Amino acid sequence: MATRSRYLNTLFAGYALIAPPLIILVLLIFYPAGQAIVRTVMTDQEVGITAGLTLDRYFNFFADPIARSNLWFTIWVTVVTTALLFLVCFPLSLYLRFSNSRIAGIVQVLALFPLFVPGVILAFALIRYLGPRGTVDTFLRIVFNYTGFVTPYLKPSGIIFALVWDHIPFTVLVLTAGLRQVEDSVIEAARDVGASGLRVFFQIVLPLIQRPLLIVFCLNMIGIFGSFTIPYLLGPAAPQMMGVYMQQTFTDYLDRSGAETQAVLSFLICSVIGALYVRTVTRRRGERA
Amino acid sequence: MPTLDLINLRKQFGSVTNPVVAVNDLNINVADGEFLCILGPSGCGKSTALRMVAGFEEPSGGDVQIDQQSIVNMPPNKRPTAMVFQKYTLWPHMKVYDNIAFGLKLRHLPKNQIDQEVQASLELVGLGKYGDRYPAQLSGGEQQRVAIARALVLKPKILLLDEPFSNLDALLRVRLREELRQIQRNLKITAVFVTHDQEEALSLADRIAVMSKGELQQLDKPATIYARPKTLFVADFIGAMNMLDGEVSGGVVKVGNQRLPAPAECVAAPAKIAIRPEDVTVTQTGEGAWHGRITQVSDLGHYRKVFVQSPDLGMLKLYLPKSVEVNDGEMITFKPTRFLIFQGPLPPFEVKL
Repeated sequence: MATRSRYLNTLFAGYALIAPPLIILVLLIFYPAGQAIVRTVMTDQEVGITAGLTLDRYFNFFADPIARSNLWFTIWVTVVTTALLFLVCFPLSLYLRFSNSRIAGIVQVLALFPLFVPGVILAFALIRYLGPRGTVDTFLRIVFNYTGFVTPYLKPSGIIFALVWDHIPFTVLVLTAGLRQVEDSVIEAARDVGASGLRVFFQIVLPLIQRPLLIVFCLNMIGIFGSFTIPYLLGPAAPQMMGVYMQQTFTDYLDRSGAETQAVLSFLICSVIGALYVRTVTRRRGERA
Repeated sequence: MPTLDLINLRKQFGSVTNPVVAVNDLNINVADGEFLCILGPSGCGKSTALRMVAGFEEPSGGDVQIDQQSIVNMPPNKRPTAMVFQKYTLWPHMKVYDNIAFGLKLRHLPKNQIDQEVQASLELVGLGKYGDRYPAQLSGGEQQRVAIARALVLKPKILLLDEPFSNLDALLRVRLREELRQIQRNLKITAVFVTHDQEEALSLADRIAVMSKGELQQLDKPATIYARPKTLFVADFIGAMNMLDGEVSGGVVKVGNQRLPAPAECVAAPAKIAIRPEDVTVTQTGEGAWHGRITQVSDLGHYRKVFVQSPDLGMLKLYLPKSVEVNDGEMITFKPTRFLIFQGPLPPFEVKL
């Protein structure tokens, strides 16, 4: 009996610990999200008519050229930014993992610095720096008498530039952590049997950091797809990224159900990537010790 | 036939102003088919020396030659050496077969030849049916066997082993050691084995190179290393040894209240007297007999280890045959039968009584 009551106590303590976050999660996130999803596929309720199922709102979304171009634009920015992030962060992470020099410490601090800069400050700093009559423009005018500087401000390149900068620390952190899991002797063993540096990278290092690579890929994609502050402050008036578009639909056009439809669509796209992430994190536990 | 020569090999870490010498002026020659152990405490430079042969460390000076050809300018992937590492050595994303086949594929061998050689090397280490498994599905001992197979399959001129068994439990270590020795004998491959475990070195090696603080102390056959250590360090490091302070004068060496004969070549100066625990014989009281009280007796199978507290020499360790009756707390009288006299950096004088 004593062991049974102790077992029940432990069980109760366990549930008590997870209850508060679970309740908040259900009441404030899952329930309203579920409600919103249901609302997007229901006809409007009017007096005397029962609501029925419909996909009209989604047809309307894809019938609207502005909505379509905003969605494509968001996907395009997400893909380009993610690709650029890998191009920038992979060499950086390899350097940080394999270099023993003192400069590596400084590079690491610089790479992690954006982590401590709020997005809104970063956006305004870039406006002041790269905007019209900003630091770079002024410098080129005064020093080289060059007036042809084209600012990325209010252009897609402005968003991409800032988003890359903003996501470097997270990407570098995860990649270097992944690379540090690859033991020196694992690499040396490959060199020892005759593999060149490139072969070691592609056949040993890359497969071994597959998981951190996919994790950083998924989380970056989702974060960039849903970004708001940077595209809102630095992006063009059209096309817009989905975050900005939703905000405008909701507050400027007062079209609540339109904004909800956009939100559910964005959520569906991100959940595909999310599923890939979950699969990456949970699979093949048994294969490696 | 493959020989390995380390010539004035030197490795220095740290800055120019504050250098740390890891390997200093190391000269070792390994004959064809020889099994050489580099033995020393951790930090003595033995692994650094091996890594310079494999190509993972660049020498600060000196040369490494295989068959009289210098290899120091070759990257590790071009050297005719293969190494077995201490741990984390297999590639976890590849099956055992692919781990072993990796080097052969790099050499563009035909598929059926790769299959044959991988299978042959797996059989060699007794894991013929393990090709389809992932490293994580193997025990530590099996993983190291695969690592050995992976090194041997490339038919290297020199096999290098960097404490390959130190992460395994004692029984397995002894078994793998014997298997490795057998494989090495059968293949007649030249091998260099780094270890801090003297028992491992004594049982495996044709010759042992004892290192301390980056320098070679002695390079000899195991029996010679044990019986005639050249330096105080080797005397103390290999096997058990009673080290006593003595003073040489006029053909005798004074140890505590005892006098032992000393060769005429000994200079009149302080000396260290080294007596192996087994180089004593129990005697009757009388002229030249040492005595002390037994403080501890351990039965070690075919002999007994006895600690004796001597009034003037301190604690001594003796290995006595089972035929001698000894008990805790009793007085015992004994005599050394053989000892070494160390004076300064010179090789010691051996005295047999």
